[in-house]
Amino acid sequence: MLKRSLAILTLLIIGYWLAQGLAGVPFGQDRMLVGHYYLEHVKEQTGAVNAVTAIVVNYRGFDTLGEVTVLFIASTGVAALLWRKKKKRSAKTEGSVVLTTGTRLLVPFVILFGSYIFIHGHLTPGGGFPGGATIATGFLLLYMAFTTYEIPHRGFEKTEGIAGMSYVLVGLIGLGIGGYFLFDWIWQTWQLGTDNIGRLFSGGFIPIIYILIGIKVGTELSGIIDNMVKEEVSE
Amino acid sequence: MNALTATGEALVLIGTFFYFLSALGLIRMPDVYNRMQTSTKSATLGSLGVMLGVGIWALGTDFGNVAWLTKTITIAIFLLLTNPISAHTLIRAAYKSGIPLWEGSVVDRYREHLESRKAEVEEAEKTPEEGGEE
Repeated sequence: MLKRSLAILTLLIIGYWLAQGLAGVPFGQDRMLVGHYYLEHVKEQTGAVNAVTAIVVNYRGFDTLGEVTVLFIASTGVAALLWRKKKKRSAKTEGSVVLTTGTRLLVPFVILFGSYIFIHGHLTPGGGFPGGATIATGFLLLYMAFTTYEIPHRGFEKTEGIAGMSYVLVGLIGLGIGGYFLFDWIWQTWQLGTDNIGRLFSGGFIPIIYILIGIKVGTELSGIIDNMVKEEVSE
Repeated sequence: MNALTATGEALVLIGTFFYFLSALGLIRMPDVYNRMQTSTKSATLGSLGVMLGVGIWALGTDFGNVAWLTKTITIAIFLLLTNPISAHTLIRAAYKSGIPLWEGSVVDRYREHLESRKAEVEEAEKTPEEGGEE
């Protein structure tokens, strides 16, 4: 009881302190410093209609590369923590007929929709990370409905590595052409799709990088799921 | 205000009414199974009403076009197909984890079925010459 009331008191003090800090912020006023620059130049500099993906991939591509690395480390870490010689699914009851049939029908559509999200990253909300997570949801559905389902490991792990390396490769090509890492060579050097802004074939290298990120995130999260649902087999 | 906006508004109103009924059923019903029954059914219907209503409503306005209706119909079909499956899975999981029926329930055929299956399996295990592996 004493512990709980002390915790509540501390939280209240911290909350009051944060509210004091926020009370000085003028909400609803135009306080953008760099934001204006992004909003005014995003179309002619990157070709993307979606300013968020343009900032995430193009203006501040290093952050995205770091995020992809974080996900890769998470996936590798889970695999290293749960590493066993022999691992098998321990689930015993198959899902009901309704669930298995529904999953069988639904999974292609889930994967299609995930691909739609990451292919249209420069036009609609979303991008590589939500699209990849949607694809991983499809595989999670398969894992939950069928007791024997397993992702094809070799293919998945290779695809993940190749997608990650291709992202760095796209950046290195930019380094060769434009002089700095993650230079948007498709838009600024080739001028591909300059009269096409707002349609699918525009946006410089944003769609390409988001396709790579989508594939990478999808395979990575599926791999994490696979590691977590399996258990060690004692012989 | 033309016919399309009026239809859309009416559909949204019907949908929100069914949403309200579904929330009411969640409070009023006595056990898990009855609650699932009321909430899933009327929530699905309410969502369909709201989504199609929004699509048709947008057709009647000056900023809306067919893309709205296409998108809402896609979402509605997706929801129509997935909501019953999730409700079925939830109820089945609730039954399998032993959540009791309402005390006013009269008949439980599924339990009888499960028990007869169990009895058959035990019968098969008792006869040694036919009993295979475990």
